[in-house]
Amino acid sequence: MVKKSPLDPTGQGFRVNGSPSRRSVIKGVGAAAAVAPFALSAPAVLAADKTVRFLNAEPSVDSVRAMRFAAAQYEKETGIKVQMDSVPGGKAFEKLQASIQSGRPYDIATLSFVGDVLLLANEKKIVPLNSIISKYDWGPRILFPMQGDNYWYPYDYNLCWINYRKDLYAAKSLREPGNWDGMMGNLAALTGDGENQLRHGIVHPIGSNGAANYTAFGYMWANGVKLFDDDWNVVLDSPDILPKAAEYLDFMADLTQYMPPSPMQSDWANLVGDFQGGIISHTPGTGRLIDQMGLTMPEKAKQVSSFLFPSKDGKKFAVNHGYDGWVVLDTAMTDEALKFLEWFSDEHLINFLHSSPVHYQPTRLDIYEDPRWTSHPAFETFADILAMQKRVLNDPDVIIRSIDTEGPEPDVRAGKVFRSYALPEMIQDRVLNGTSATDSVRTAAEKIRKIIAA
Amino acid sequence: MPSDRIIYIIFFLALGLTALLVLYPAYYALELSFQHRESLISEPEWVWFQNYARVLAMPDFWAALGRGVIFAGLTILLQIVLGIGFALLLAREFPGMPVIRGIAVLPYLLPTVVVALTFRWMLDGSVGIFSKAAQLLGYDYLPWGDDPYMAMITVILISVWIWTPFVTLTCLAGLQSIPEDIYEAARIDGAGPWQRFWHITLPQLRSVLLVVLLLRAIWMFNKFDIVWLMTRGGPQQATEQLPIFSYRQAFEMYDVGAGAAVSAISFVILSVLILIYFRLFPLDRKD
Repeated sequence: MVKKSPLDPTGQGFRVNGSPSRRSVIKGVGAAAAVAPFALSAPAVLAADKTVRFLNAEPSVDSVRAMRFAAAQYEKETGIKVQMDSVPGGKAFEKLQASIQSGRPYDIATLSFVGDVLLLANEKKIVPLNSIISKYDWGPRILFPMQGDNYWYPYDYNLCWINYRKDLYAAKSLREPGNWDGMMGNLAALTGDGENQLRHGIVHPIGSNGAANYTAFGYMWANGVKLFDDDWNVVLDSPDILPKAAEYLDFMADLTQYMPPSPMQSDWANLVGDFQGGIISHTPGTGRLIDQMGLTMPEKAKQVSSFLFPSKDGKKFAVNHGYDGWVVLDTAMTDEALKFLEWFSDEHLINFLHSSPVHYQPTRLDIYEDPRWTSHPAFETFADILAMQKRVLNDPDVIIRSIDTEGPEPDVRAGKVFRSYALPEMIQDRVLNGTSATDSVRTAAEKIRKIIAA
Repeated sequence: MPSDRIIYIIFFLALGLTALLVLYPAYYALELSFQHRESLISEPEWVWFQNYARVLAMPDFWAALGRGVIFAGLTILLQIVLGIGFALLLAREFPGMPVIRGIAVLPYLLPTVVVALTFRWMLDGSVGIFSKAAQLLGYDYLPWGDDPYMAMITVILISVWIWTPFVTLTCLAGLQSIPEDIYEAARIDGAGPWQRFWHITLPQLRSVLLVVLLLRAIWMFNKFDIVWLMTRGGPQQATEQLPIFSYRQAFEMYDVGAGAAVSAISFVILSVLILIYFRLFPLDRKD
């Protein structure tokens, strides 16, 4: 029974006791629902909210906890909320693109691939971080400036080296290998059914995947191989480089006798699982493995140490470049995002790096001398590994390279080569098809030429 | 009348949703295929049919198409043959039949990612149960991922394992709608099991099988997940068919236009094949 009310002369919208009718509620909710998406995404509303949206691609529990702690502190100090969304590293760029397309881009994002940073910079979706970057001293090969501007804040080197079981080395009186012969000798000594031997020696994924791109090419960089000259010409099959690349492929073919079956199918899980499970005595990777073992099997973790990828003759050593960093997007909250990044960089970066201390190798040189950084207990337990990390940055005989950072300057062409898996397929051609090393190198070089020309 | 108005509202809402969720994405994909852009956030450049010309000139495109035809053809053939066989077995009355029928459907209910990861571990060269079995038989391990042919056979067999229950279920439903009288009459006329299957069961299942064949062909030709999760198109592109080729072009080679063009060409190929299929086997024909 509905009666006319002074507030509702039509008698349609309100009940006699003044409560809204079902129809008016539905209309109201419908209208609100229709308008809400536009209203909430309006830049002015977001700015008024003072919320910085942060896409974090370091999803480990301790890292997320460190980030959230910093965000809470920042909100307490400034009243600016930092909303943290975490995704696996490989999904960050996809999610960031989706957020840009939806009209609500994140304000800060973690990226792990310089090609993605380039794309965003070219489209003017991210802003230069020059003023923050210029505050600090940085290690070698980590900034990747684009036309004089630094668009990202790198927070770790993420270098790939070789982790090994030092208890087995001690039992067999072995020394860290200084060249490929030494490496083969150590693998032979540690592989088998005897005492202080394991079933296999090492695993290097060689499939068309990111694990192969990241962990299989350290020996190649150490041996002096380059992909491009200063004008982006492919030099992989040039008279200088081809023999070195061919030597590397033959070495990889020899290494397979010490690998678990089917390195084609090996992936990140095998690199960690086979080592922790006592199947292999060596595994390429970062300090993440050691940090994880430190949490779950601390006694075993103490038996792990690391060395760099040697060259054939032992004159040079290499690590494969990994790197991770943050970008700030061009949004209504850019200024606040920049302020937060600078504050985080000064106040909480070391705390964040401590969430995986052996893995997160600092990019800023001042951190290596900072007592807050060196106070972590890992500096006692893994002193040799952390000393090696410092050596990597200063030793002229150590090469830091990766497929995606090859070339005279940061460029999407190197990223294309990385994601084409032309180089893992070069190994596959030699190892699986039995093609001669020189032919495999020439085929790969031709493929790379086509890829960068497209 | 109010009831008419509600019907119209529901109809237009459904039409609107279809347009929003099906037609617009299809239009967007088509639009992308005429543009040059490095990523979905790049400024597009209209290039008309250049992406199509480039893609059609790529040997990798034709190789991926060929592999897609082989993959789809063999999986469909095995699924249909095995699906009918299992349906015939499950159509019989026997103790524990409901349980067996439930188990037979299980692979179809499992998420593809679970199946792929489980099979990857079972096939693992070090700890996989298949490798252990191979070692017991005197072999080193199953080189399923190292050899191009073995990799293709593996993804085909796993696909058959997952999706055969769909064929089994639909055929089982079809079998149960065939009147028993027809079989009775055939038996009285002296028809043996093979003759009853060939002259009664198969013709009665015709309409079901035509739909199943059509659906499976569309799904398997566009299949991405299981192949990607098992082999990522390797080794050396041996299992890379058009959906994976399209994905790699768009999201790994910074060539969204070429990736969209591959998808559009794939759509055209499939549409033409379906039209031919309907001309050859009209669904409403009763034999």
